[in-house]
Amino acid sequence: MIKKILIANRGEIACRVMTTCKEMGIESVAVFSDVDQKALHVLMADYSYCLGESEPSKSYLNIEKIIDAAKQSGADAIHPGYGFLAENASFAARCEEEGIIFIGPPARVISNLGDKTIARQIMIKGGVPVTPGMTQTEPDPLVLAREADKIGYPVLIKAAAGGGGKGMRIVKHPGEMQDACAAASSEAVSAFGNGAIYLEKYIEKPRHVEFQILADAYGNVIHLLERECSIQRRHQKIIEETPSPGLTPSLREEMGKAAVAAAKASGYVNAGTIEFLLDREGRFYFLEVNTRLQVEHPITEMVTGIDLVRQQIEVASGKRLALTQKDVFGRGHAIECRVYAEDPARGFFPSPGKIRFFQQPTGPGIRNDCGVYSGVEVPVDYDPIISKLVACAEDREKAIAKMIKALGEYVILGVKTPIPFLIDVLKSEPFAAGETYTDFIEKHFGNWTPGEGDIDMALISYLMNEISGRDKTQYQSSISQEALSPWKTLGNWRL
Amino acid sequence: MEYNLIINDKTFPVTLDIQDGKKYVVSIGEKQFSVEFDRIGEHLLSLDVNGKKINTYLADTPEGKEIFFNGKSYLVIDADALEQEGTRKSSGGKSSDEVTSPMPAVVIKVMVKEGDMVEKGQGVVVVSAMKMETTLFAPFAGCVTKINVQSGDKVMPGVILVDIEKIEENT
Repeated sequence: MIKKILIANRGEIACRVMTTCKEMGIESVAVFSDVDQKALHVLMADYSYCLGESEPSKSYLNIEKIIDAAKQSGADAIHPGYGFLAENASFAARCEEEGIIFIGPPARVISNLGDKTIARQIMIKGGVPVTPGMTQTEPDPLVLAREADKIGYPVLIKAAAGGGGKGMRIVKHPGEMQDACAAASSEAVSAFGNGAIYLEKYIEKPRHVEFQILADAYGNVIHLLERECSIQRRHQKIIEETPSPGLTPSLREEMGKAAVAAAKASGYVNAGTIEFLLDREGRFYFLEVNTRLQVEHPITEMVTGIDLVRQQIEVASGKRLALTQKDVFGRGHAIECRVYAEDPARGFFPSPGKIRFFQQPTGPGIRNDCGVYSGVEVPVDYDPIISKLVACAEDREKAIAKMIKALGEYVILGVKTPIPFLIDVLKSEPFAAGETYTDFIEKHFGNWTPGEGDIDMALISYLMNEISGRDKTQYQSSISQEALSPWKTLGNWRL
Repeated sequence: MEYNLIINDKTFPVTLDIQDGKKYVVSIGEKQFSVEFDRIGEHLLSLDVNGKKINTYLADTPEGKEIFFNGKSYLVIDADALEQEGTRKSSGGKSSDEVTSPMPAVVIKVMVKEGDMVEKGQGVVVVSAMKMETTLFAPFAGCVTKINVQSGDKVMPGVILVDIEKIEENT
């Protein structure tokens, strides 16, 4: 049995994993870079190891330093979280070599599914529907143009190593083909160090629907229902929900079976996500497999009541799945909003800085997976996620109302956040109607600006704060003490 | 007491009168508000405005006072205090004649060298914050006279990264 886990990550996901470790009586080891010395995940851990310079390649992406920390700390296992090394096959392989349990699928599976063309070949063999298109990469734009004629425009150029929308181009006319191929390929080289590209049919106005799967090392695979993640900006999800407003029970059943087939075809072990595109006619196509714990996993946990991190750890320990498909059912509706340090009024531009005050919303059905506290600095070096706010209620309408209320009470002073934007999206008619397609933000909120709000109340607050100025100098001097203990300023805090 | 407060580049003249020990009257334009308050904590005020209660949260930031309630933040600046301070950085940091990062960032690449002639809108420096790269452009045509940073440097908004001398129109 695993006794000590090193979490090769930071921020909210490192904290999330440690929470389950604590519940299971497993010790946790944090790793951190210089700027993260006082980060929440370091404070929560039983042991911590400094990786040095903040640059990701010298810290959270540095395989040797992390393996070293695992050995020094005597960790039996490494949980990679998401991002950083989570889908790095060489990292998983290094763990295997060193006899450290990698909490995720085997290196070979990560490597196969990380290459989009190989993944497509595996899925076709496993009988999983894929988008019409190529199963091999192709460097020659002329050959690609011929393929595009066969598939039919519009087509989508994709990078074999792709992810996050990088190396992707939509081509509507044959004349654009050559330039688009060159641009996609060079973008893929700089993003992934691999410029190989291929073509797929471009599905217009799809929904992004994914299935959570769990597989043990003995060939047992189940799915934990779907998540709809169509609300995206720059190909990054910002609002996710389950169940999907676009699925009927029979379609759910059909897609769930396809997801299980996809996992079996790839020899999957541990928790993973099978992503599909769902078109307007209810046809679905395999998109990719995320070989890790997803950012949006909490909504699945909220409706199924299953702790995915606990399942991951148990599968990694060599246990059989204790659950069968019949044990899994969803109850109610859950929504997640990603709260980043970013400015929604300026193209979601990152807004790093010091969090001057932080107060989380609470209440029945509210969960906030969080990696910060009052007084902490959100560094410029990493993904700007602050937390993931989740609301769960009996039905979709009530879950939306709960989320709007919770966002309104979520106080984060010092950095910009998309909270006012998220509230406007959740209050909008197309969202209420479940018309959530991947072009949602572009179509309905492309020119979003924050409303004026209640200026009078802001002015009154300012004046009243001035009036109580007698105490103010004292308050200011305490703010300037950078060394405020987070334990004093945390306020309500749930593990 | 009179104040001139700025929100979103708009100035609001506001007067504050003390009615008795705990009650205040705030006048904003034609509107009058009867206000009472309790300070609950370092960052929290409990207000009673015309008989209705609301909690507001406040914090000092380098740009001004940030005030939050009902899911929305407001940046409030005292115009008079701003004047007294004299030479302050242009608030909001939109100094369009300077090559400066819009936020704390790391310099990825300097695309020019001293002595280079640049066109208006030419990329000069690439900065990165939180995995997102942004190119900063020359605000006008001119000659690069000094480069103040190198790749890897951490920079703050308002710091001039590259000095460019404007080319006179008549030369």
